[in-house]
Amino acid sequence: MTEKLHPIIEKAGREFADGKLERREFLRLAVLLGVAAPAAYSMVGLAAPALAQGAPKKGGIVRIGMRVQDISSPHTYSWIESANSARQVLDYLTVTGIDNVTRPSLVEKWEASPDLKTWTLHLRKDVTWRKGRKFTADDAVWNLKRVLDDKTGSSVVGLLKGFILTEYDGGEKDAKGAPRKSVKLWDANAIQKVDDFTIKLNGNSANLSIPESLFHYPLLICSPEDGGKFGVGSDGTGAFELVEHEVGKRSVFAANKKAYWGGGPYIDRYEIIDLGDDAAAQVSALASKQVDMIYQGAISTLPTVEKLPHVQVNSVATGYTAVARTHPIKPFDDKRVRQALRYATDNDAVLKGALRGLGKPGEHHHVAPVHPEYADIGYLKQDIAKAKALLAEAGYPNGIDVTIDARPQPDWELLAVQIMVEQWKEAGIRCKINVMPSAQYWANWTKVPFGFTTWAHRPLGTMILGLAYRTGAAWNEANWSNAEFDKLLTEAEGYLDVEKRRAVMAKLERIMLDDGPAVVPVWRAVFNYSDKKIKGYKIHPSIYIDAKDMWIDA
Amino acid sequence: MLRYSAKQLLNMALTLFAVSFLVFALNELSPGDVARKILGPYASESQVDHLTVQMGLDRPAIVRYFEYMGKALTGDFGDSIVFRMPVADLMFDRLGNTLLLAAISFAVIVPLSVVLGVLAGMRERGWFDRTISVFSSMCASIPEFAMGVFLLGIFVVWLGWLPGTSPLRSDSGWAIWMQFVLPVLVVTFYDAGYLIAMVRSSMVEVMRQPYIRTALLKGMSFNRVVSRHALRNALITPFTVILLQLNYLVSGLVVVETLFAYPGFGRMMLEAALAKDIAVIEAGTLIAVSVTMLTQLFGDLGYMALDPRIRV
Repeated sequence: MTEKLHPIIEKAGREFADGKLERREFLRLAVLLGVAAPAAYSMVGLAAPALAQGAPKKGGIVRIGMRVQDISSPHTYSWIESANSARQVLDYLTVTGIDNVTRPSLVEKWEASPDLKTWTLHLRKDVTWRKGRKFTADDAVWNLKRVLDDKTGSSVVGLLKGFILTEYDGGEKDAKGAPRKSVKLWDANAIQKVDDFTIKLNGNSANLSIPESLFHYPLLICSPEDGGKFGVGSDGTGAFELVEHEVGKRSVFAANKKAYWGGGPYIDRYEIIDLGDDAAAQVSALASKQVDMIYQGAISTLPTVEKLPHVQVNSVATGYTAVARTHPIKPFDDKRVRQALRYATDNDAVLKGALRGLGKPGEHHHVAPVHPEYADIGYLKQDIAKAKALLAEAGYPNGIDVTIDARPQPDWELLAVQIMVEQWKEAGIRCKINVMPSAQYWANWTKVPFGFTTWAHRPLGTMILGLAYRTGAAWNEANWSNAEFDKLLTEAEGYLDVEKRRAVMAKLERIMLDDGPAVVPVWRAVFNYSDKKIKGYKIHPSIYIDAKDMWIDA
Repeated sequence: MLRYSAKQLLNMALTLFAVSFLVFALNELSPGDVARKILGPYASESQVDHLTVQMGLDRPAIVRYFEYMGKALTGDFGDSIVFRMPVADLMFDRLGNTLLLAAISFAVIVPLSVVLGVLAGMRERGWFDRTISVFSSMCASIPEFAMGVFLLGIFVVWLGWLPGTSPLRSDSGWAIWMQFVLPVLVVTFYDAGYLIAMVRSSMVEVMRQPYIRTALLKGMSFNRVVSRHALRNALITPFTVILLQLNYLVSGLVVVETLFAYPGFGRMMLEAALAKDIAVIEAGTLIAVSVTMLTQLFGDLGYMALDPRIRV
């Protein structure tokens, strides 16, 4: 390494050498701050994970069963499925791999200023659009400005608001007619083109996770000539061209004649077949080889798929979960009742019954073992006697009668609720289940007094706690408020040093076990199915699927 | 007859208008908002607001209803918000697929039911009658999805003889006709069970009539009695029932279409309803209601042809 390292890396490197910094966290830090992934891996004495399984062969078609959605506006995508279609044609500036490490893509190299406010992005110089034009800084700047424009309606705004945007009163109204604050770039020079292949992001606050944010799934780099629209024939820097697209039916991608700058693609064609939402149809299609892959597996189909000799189940541990959380109203206004709920739950049984063991038992504090600052504070085992005693102490010697709201899809959620309700019965918590359609649940999820809500994987523990449990946060669905918790959380967020963060995290986790509003029964592993002939594919924790790496071993 | 038909058609127009209003009102009352349903759980609140305004859904329902009906009367059924294409094109494609499945099923179900029903009913309580009765009531009582999963288990997962889904494309290695086998089989088992029972009981009733006994006592051969005197009379009642199956075959195939990922009308309607895609729901409902009412009209006219005593 001849280039100068970012001061934080030098510091982190010393901490890693002293054993204070965990290997994986150091890796993530080093890569985020501009060290190339293979170099970072060698700095911590690890070999970079290889995807290669023998020499790739050329040719063939891969068909995947996935919903075929309207994909006309990449920057406003709100479904992973949409992004999984367009990403075959369009590239991202960076790519976060299955190991949670972010690597270069269209951005070849990046540097952060010591205060983490200014990020310099160096673009690859060898990339051309399929229609022949050279990919330059103008293209990247156009895309970044567009996703950060309030009028576009992209969710990238929420992600980078604190870093580079500022609120102002533009006289906008929301759908209910209430005044809404508009946002704009905080400075005219916030997104700065330095030269044809260099961009500077001049933020007004520090942000460590810019490279990760650049891989947020709607931030696909479109050709400015397409005006932010995407469809059949749209230009792209990716490995494929979209040649056919019918919502609800299928999408077809053809490999570009010209070699892809990032290697591959190996297959000639990639097709997405819409099989609807019925899990049985997905298995049938897989069984009769009408599709070679299924985007995401369902627990109900797992036993059948395991019997299909030509199919393999791919799975990866994540921080995905669903939590049974309470509002602070009777009887849950008493923290002893909330504790009783946790003591009455047998997480191992929920994992086995609802997820067939695919995942890990939860620990009721919403910080997963995959999070870098996770603190192992011991496992809370089911204790019916203790749960009963707590209920009696709280003034409910005969137990309580409550109703939990849940949704029927995905199937494991309702199954988990049913299993927990049976367990709670033993402790005198008599619970009715009110099942409502998903759409209705999402319209009311923060309002129901007792509900079972799904939470997606977030890379950091502090992120999920800040989103879901900080006093007054928009997604604090439990209306929970604990001053001590808020204070400690802010403290934890200020530490770059993962060990310091972990020490505070242990305190936060204990507060959640003592006073917290939620039962966190499991950590899900996400899984899907693929034909054994497909090589070069590994499942991503967010189920991002790139066809350019796949090849067929016939 | 012409006056009767004209009256019925006018009746139909009024019904359609009433239905269109009811469907719109019910759709408004059903839970969840359209933008949230389209964007899914991970979309931000501001994205939802954005789309709501963009789609004009922040305006009063009654305004949107009259706007929709005004356009519909000029033949513009709008665009589907789920499938992103003109409703007219979508309907044409999906309804065509369903009609094809319905026609094949109908062509199998009707002769099968009539033949088996008549054979069973002409010798009441004979061994054939008993076998058919048990078989038909068994078929009619197994729900389509159970029958479907059962057949999928045997022919797709275990034997591997047939394709598991029916996208109606031949490029995945299965001929299109093979993709029809399982859906038609499921529909046939379910529907024929019921029809056979209907034809059989009607046949049984006719065979008990005095004129049949007279004909037999006269020395006429059994086969001749059945074909000359019993058959036509026995088919009058089932005729309407048979026509009513058309309704089921056009708008009731939701389960079969979903199970086999068949790109048909029922599955389209299900998805539209789940997403509150009002343009598709309205047009689809109007088509389904029209089919029902037209088959009734044809039923009445056909009844007249079969039974000369009836005049309308």
